[in-house]
Amino acid sequence: MELVIDTHGLSKSYKQVNALKPLSLQVPKNSIFGFLGPNGAGKTTTIKLLLGLIRPTSGSASIFGLDMARNSVAIRARVGYLPQDPRFYEHMTARQILDYTAHFFFKGPADEIAKRVAETLELVGLPDKADRPIKGFSGGERQRLGIAQAQVNYPDLLILDEPAASLDPMGRRDVLEVMERLRKYTTVFYCTHILDDVQRVSDTVAILNHGELVAYGPIEDLLAAGEGLAYEVALEGDVESAYQRVASQPWVTGIKAKPRNGSTHWIVAVADGEAAKAQLLRLLLADEALVVTDFHRKERELEDVFIRIVEGGQHGSGQ
Amino acid sequence: MAVGNSAMILETGAGWTRGLNNVLRAEFGRWFRSRMWWIQILIWTTMLNGFLLVVVFSTPDEAREVGPMIFSALLGIGGPIGVSIIMQDVLAGEKRSGTAAWVLSKPLSRAAFVVAKLVANVVGVAVTMVLVPGVISYLIMTFVAHVDLPLAGYAAALGVHLVNLLFYLTVTLMLGAIFNSSAVVIGIPLAFLFFQQWLPNLWAPLAKVIPFSLTMPTGDAESSSIATALMAGVRPETFLPLIATLAASVVFVAVALWGFQRQEL
Repeated sequence: MELVIDTHGLSKSYKQVNALKPLSLQVPKNSIFGFLGPNGAGKTTTIKLLLGLIRPTSGSASIFGLDMARNSVAIRARVGYLPQDPRFYEHMTARQILDYTAHFFFKGPADEIAKRVAETLELVGLPDKADRPIKGFSGGERQRLGIAQAQVNYPDLLILDEPAASLDPMGRRDVLEVMERLRKYTTVFYCTHILDDVQRVSDTVAILNHGELVAYGPIEDLLAAGEGLAYEVALEGDVESAYQRVASQPWVTGIKAKPRNGSTHWIVAVADGEAAKAQLLRLLLADEALVVTDFHRKERELEDVFIRIVEGGQHGSGQ
Repeated sequence: MAVGNSAMILETGAGWTRGLNNVLRAEFGRWFRSRMWWIQILIWTTMLNGFLLVVVFSTPDEAREVGPMIFSALLGIGGPIGVSIIMQDVLAGEKRSGTAAWVLSKPLSRAAFVVAKLVANVVGVAVTMVLVPGVISYLIMTFVAHVDLPLAGYAAALGVHLVNLLFYLTVTLMLGAIFNSSAVVIGIPLAFLFFQQWLPNLWAPLAKVIPFSLTMPTGDAESSSIATALMAGVRPETFLPLIATLAASVVFVAVALWGFQRQEL
């Protein structure tokens, strides 16, 4: 597996505060890597370390096989970066910002650069605001410009710090589409609080908490690990005897019941998936006093996993 | 890097000059492709040349002595204040606002970033605060006050003024590279500007090296600053303050480069 980012014990401390505890992380080529964690977990610190904007207290990292400390400029030549709170020169227009950015990567010719700038403005939906000073831009427009400048150089690695922040639902959808489209050509390493987005597009996820890596691995593994299987059931009628019957099965580890819209909603946690698949629905249907209005295997949400890990203080890697 | 079907040519430069031309282009643009250049010219010509005109018309007989002295004193005091105000946000402001972190996430060396800021601002200050008001001043003295000033000496005096401003420009740049606080970045140069004339009281040899004597007389009533002596076509007693000020500016630039390299953005 070809790695784009490879860190070994990378850490950062400020006086008495460990902003990032030794972090060892591998980001495979062409992956969409979701980097999650609550505020102050160390996500932005990690990104700044990778970009050479701050210096590590210990550890090392390589990007594209190049040492982060010795080859920072060469690394940045292949990276596109969207900061969490994008700040640009207020007196410049969006077109000037993109032209300025592009000239760090390309010598010319000027008309080709201008063409690329126009293409990027189009991609983020800013062509009609291209020649207005940024001073008057809304938060969402700045974010779109931030996304544009991050990809104007066709980066091999796109580092996005909260790419969907300040965007409306359509803007958020556009960003996710752009990320999925770019996967073929580039590796995307991004931080976000919007866990639905991560679940939708990411293939690998890392969760930081208090500067420490607490979970890390392919998203399916992370979703599958931990609490085991569960089924969601909606029932109408007298559920008492069915409850006793289901709860007494050796493969049932627990039932959470709550009323919802005139019916009873159960989450049945099971230890043996095969037994549950074969018997659970039959057990329920055997009771003629009951009507089963819904029955499905519970899909685990990343949000549940995230909250359980972060609030539960789980440590260690999922990989 | 995958550049698709694009015919763009990749920038492949390495070393400290990587990104220099691009930042220089943007910094010169900030000075000369915006309103900044003519606003600065308006401020300095109004202040320096306007005052000179008042002196020339009110005391025409004393214009030969007073004219160059007034011009030198105003530029010698007002110039450093203007330079410190212009430079206070150049590095410190960009660090605070986050634009420095954004630009330096691109393939650009930190040295190139600092050098581009230095060069563009030196040229901007030289044109708007020294060259244009200086030329207008020469024309006023020659054609309005009918005072015959030696051109070479006058040009040299403008050079001395530029060295004086370079001192404040580089010290502000250095402080901006190291500190984030505007109060520190602008306060220290201005405090030095106003209190340096008393430094020789602490240690007399300082009188020979402080930039004060470049533009302001430091001795008795008969003495003159290096700039006014040159304007009058007289060889100054010493060039030591000029050399010391230039040397200090070089040190300030070196410290700015070193300090900014270590900054966490």
